[in-house]
Amino acid sequence: MRNNKLLLLFGSFLSLALLVVAAAQENVFREWRRVQSTAKAPGGPVEKRLRQVVVPALGVTDRCVTCHVGMSAGEPNVPGNPALAAHPPIPHDPASYGCTTCHSGQGRATEKADAHGTVPHWPEPMIPKVNADAGCGTCHSHIEVPNTKALRSGQAVFERYDCLSCHKVDGRGGTLRPGGGGMEGPDLSRIGAAGYKADWYEKHLEKSRTAGGPWTSTFGTIPDVERGDLETFLRTRVGAPKLVLAKALFHSLGCRGCHKIGGVGGDDGPELTAAGQRDPALSDFTHVPGERTLSNWWAEHFRNPSGVVPGSQMPAMVESEEDIQLLTHYVLSLRRGKFPEAFWPRDRIRAERFGEREFATDGATLYTTFCAACHGPAGEGMRYAGLPVFPAIGNPDFLELATDEMIAATVKSGRPGRRMPAWGEKAGGLRPEEVAAVVAHVRSLSPVRPQPDGKPRVWARPDAAHGPSVYARACASCHGDKGQGGEGPALANKVLLGSASDTYLFETIRRGRRGTSMEAFSRPSTTRPALSDSEIESVVAFVRGFEKGEKK
Amino acid sequence: MSAALPHTAIERFVANLKAIPNNLRAATLRGGTPNTDRSRSSFVFGNVFLHLHPVRVHRWSLRWTTTFGLGIMATAAFLITLVTGVLLMFYYKPYPDAAYISIKDIHFVVPTGRFIRNIHRWAANVMVVAVLLHMARAFYTGAYRKPREFNWLIGMGLLVTTLGLSFTGYLLPWDQLAYWAITIGANIAQSPREVTDALNLTESFDPGGLQKLLLLGSSEVGEEALIRFFLLHVMLLPLVLFGLAAVHFWRIRKDGGLVRPANADEILGPRTEAYPVFTEAPKKTYQLAAIVKGKTAAVGKGPENTLPSMPHLFYAELGILMLTAGICLALAMVSDAPLKELANPAVPENPAKAPWYFLGLQELVAHSAFMGGIGIPSIVLIGLGLIPFLDRETAGTGEWFGGPGGKPLVLQAIVVGLGSAIAIEAVAIQFGWIREWFPKAPQLLITLINPGTVLTLVYALYSVWLVKKHDSTRAGALGLFTCFLCGFALLTLIGTYFRGPNWNFYWSPADWPAH
Repeated sequence: MRNNKLLLLFGSFLSLALLVVAAAQENVFREWRRVQSTAKAPGGPVEKRLRQVVVPALGVTDRCVTCHVGMSAGEPNVPGNPALAAHPPIPHDPASYGCTTCHSGQGRATEKADAHGTVPHWPEPMIPKVNADAGCGTCHSHIEVPNTKALRSGQAVFERYDCLSCHKVDGRGGTLRPGGGGMEGPDLSRIGAAGYKADWYEKHLEKSRTAGGPWTSTFGTIPDVERGDLETFLRTRVGAPKLVLAKALFHSLGCRGCHKIGGVGGDDGPELTAAGQRDPALSDFTHVPGERTLSNWWAEHFRNPSGVVPGSQMPAMVESEEDIQLLTHYVLSLRRGKFPEAFWPRDRIRAERFGEREFATDGATLYTTFCAACHGPAGEGMRYAGLPVFPAIGNPDFLELATDEMIAATVKSGRPGRRMPAWGEKAGGLRPEEVAAVVAHVRSLSPVRPQPDGKPRVWARPDAAHGPSVYARACASCHGDKGQGGEGPALANKVLLGSASDTYLFETIRRGRRGTSMEAFSRPSTTRPALSDSEIESVVAFVRGFEKGEKK
Repeated sequence: MSAALPHTAIERFVANLKAIPNNLRAATLRGGTPNTDRSRSSFVFGNVFLHLHPVRVHRWSLRWTTTFGLGIMATAAFLITLVTGVLLMFYYKPYPDAAYISIKDIHFVVPTGRFIRNIHRWAANVMVVAVLLHMARAFYTGAYRKPREFNWLIGMGLLVTTLGLSFTGYLLPWDQLAYWAITIGANIAQSPREVTDALNLTESFDPGGLQKLLLLGSSEVGEEALIRFFLLHVMLLPLVLFGLAAVHFWRIRKDGGLVRPANADEILGPRTEAYPVFTEAPKKTYQLAAIVKGKTAAVGKGPENTLPSMPHLFYAELGILMLTAGICLALAMVSDAPLKELANPAVPENPAKAPWYFLGLQELVAHSAFMGGIGIPSIVLIGLGLIPFLDRETAGTGEWFGGPGGKPLVLQAIVVGLGSAIAIEAVAIQFGWIREWFPKAPQLLITLINPGTVLTLVYALYSVWLVKKHDSTRAGALGLFTCFLCGFALLTLIGTYFRGPNWNFYWSPADWPAH
């Protein structure tokens, strides 16, 4: 009985002691209580309690404001500590949008590691602070952004015309006050989202003539072309300069040539629509040094794609660390939160309901968005290790022979059996007017124009005696003995043969294509004699035969 | 109190008011304050909860080594899960996704919610362990023998109910762990299809599909499954457990208390402390024993080696209760209950593991879902149920490892049980099984011949050999039970610690392929 009494005594004391410790631990020594006790608002210490932002329509319950007290509605600012101070001014009130909507993380958590989501089993950790505006992509995944070149030239115009002297943009400029101490020009950092009057230029011009003072000295006429660039730049000022820069870079490198986002793009690479929301735990970090974060994974992947994803065919598209970080930034912005339409921004509604593109649709941007990765930003063609050579479509010798119809047919129907997709026929491809815009842009890569050709499309006479033998001798080593391609492109391709005229084939053989391995066969080389026009004609007719052979 | 009798109604009213504490106490306790052995006995006997106890308890039952308090520990753990479970129910919402969110809220904002959930989880595990060990104790001391056969069966019911309670609770957090563990469980329930498929019967006779449908209420783990598991977990199974446990306790008393050796009194010797048997002269000695037939605790025996349950047994029980509480609290403090990502049917867990006590079975399921999940467990349960009816011997009852063979036999059985389990697992892990050797082998063959069935056969043959050698069923039972216990422990260990993605063998989780 004595032993049992002692057991009871021991068990009771043990339980009691543990309960007391637990009660203290669970109620008093909570991390957030410690944080709140350091918060000194001007009006005295803040009340110690749990705080939360609840937005049922967005499915958000965010207790971030339990520690970040200054950011919750109705709480005093806590100056001195940015983590506890009021949120920097943003158009979206955290009280009505919550925190995790933009920043991601685990809103329900009340402890730092859990809330920031850097714990196992939480698939959506916070977006790193340096990538903060990637969070805008949760809703604003459809901002219309041109390629980097257009963006930079717009910015250059903006700066060259000294707009910064009166207007502030992204934290720069806006020092000059008209009329000596008058009102400064409006901050244009969000003008693309807020919108502006179409007649701003006329109004400015009138003011510069009538108002005098700085108006006269700072504003003058701007040519139409430059004004177009300027407005392109202004439309991208939506308060997320880094995201815009990142998106522009993505749409300058031709990434969509292989990757689909929002259903638009090529099929060779994985779809990226929600790539910024991927669970880091589901990513392979075997070959990624450093922390196991999504941004680290993507940055390393952009440095060395096949090193991170064994077997990946993706080439390293950028070299500078700045560009690597920009691409990472853009991928992190690919989030597509699921929200009621009432919360959708205008650009998203325009894109998802009215079929507008979520990127600029001028020919140049379309070209860099879909074509540049393979054909080069200026049509110079690309060569990647392990992949066949991609044709230089900006080559003047090509553009001098290829008609618009032929280029359009190639863009539209691609090259079946090769990497060139049928952009006008596949899902997620280009619309007819976009194909036309791309063709116009390709045409603009060189000043040459094809000469009108009076001959019918097919005119070469077959010559059974010479055609096959000349082809085998002169062409087969690069284009394959059955035209299947090798170092040179495949010729046995129904879209190529269906759109190319005999004149195109004839002249291409005769003149060659400068800057590529395709020689001018009308001139002798060290390894073979020149081909006569009749021999070239026989080869053209022989190549034409591949069209029929292919149908077997 | 005033000496004079109150005269007026007001005075009587005031006097009654003053007397309330005393009268309330008298009304509650019925027989007055239980401060003598006699009044305590009648208190125990007359109390609805306490009367499940015997009024007097044998000194043998109070020795720590008799039971190690395992049954009480299981009961205590159940009471702890009951209290914490009811508290959790205040916040838990049994609906997909909402369930997960409510657990997150319990973890993060409900005052002490995380701690209470941890206690609940740990107490549930302590309960499973205690029930298993309690069964082993009952087996090794021969407590299943006549007249306790029925209570052994009730105990098996309690074991199954305990596992059922734990398993149904597993789904409730609605996280990845829960979702995929229950998916495995449901597929095991469906595993009779393995046999009916092989016999081409599934279309007309599909008990597997029916079982899964009954379990999940749908073809997939979803809202129907969740509400079903919730109902089972918080209502049906606890009620079943209450019922079975009440009968279990009652039968301990009616079957003559805890099992003890025939010579328990000699072993115990005379009492060292002079303890008065009755502090007050009894008015009706043995009146109770006189009307009770058969071999009950008091019949034909003097009271010299029994003690009043109150307070002797109660101190022991409360001591174990508080010790169990302390253990659960300590575990809850150092280790959080797991909560993984929100359940996502599109992203399978790899490896998806059942609760730990089923991992031994999952190890067998890897070869044959039917044998591992249903066949062998059924064989084991039937075997356990038959033991008291096949072993009608009396030698060694009440002694640890009592009976022919004794402790050396059990040690030998441990070697045989572990050895053959390790050998068969090593073969299966190193060289694969029939499917790897003959890819076209019919599934029925593997269902019949797999590590689980081979192991069962080895154990059975060993036990038959023991029966012959010792000329005793008890010897065979001792060997078989020990072997199964060892096999269970080893397979559970392998399933828990040495199985990684695709159920491949790894020495450590550090060797798992990164993903």
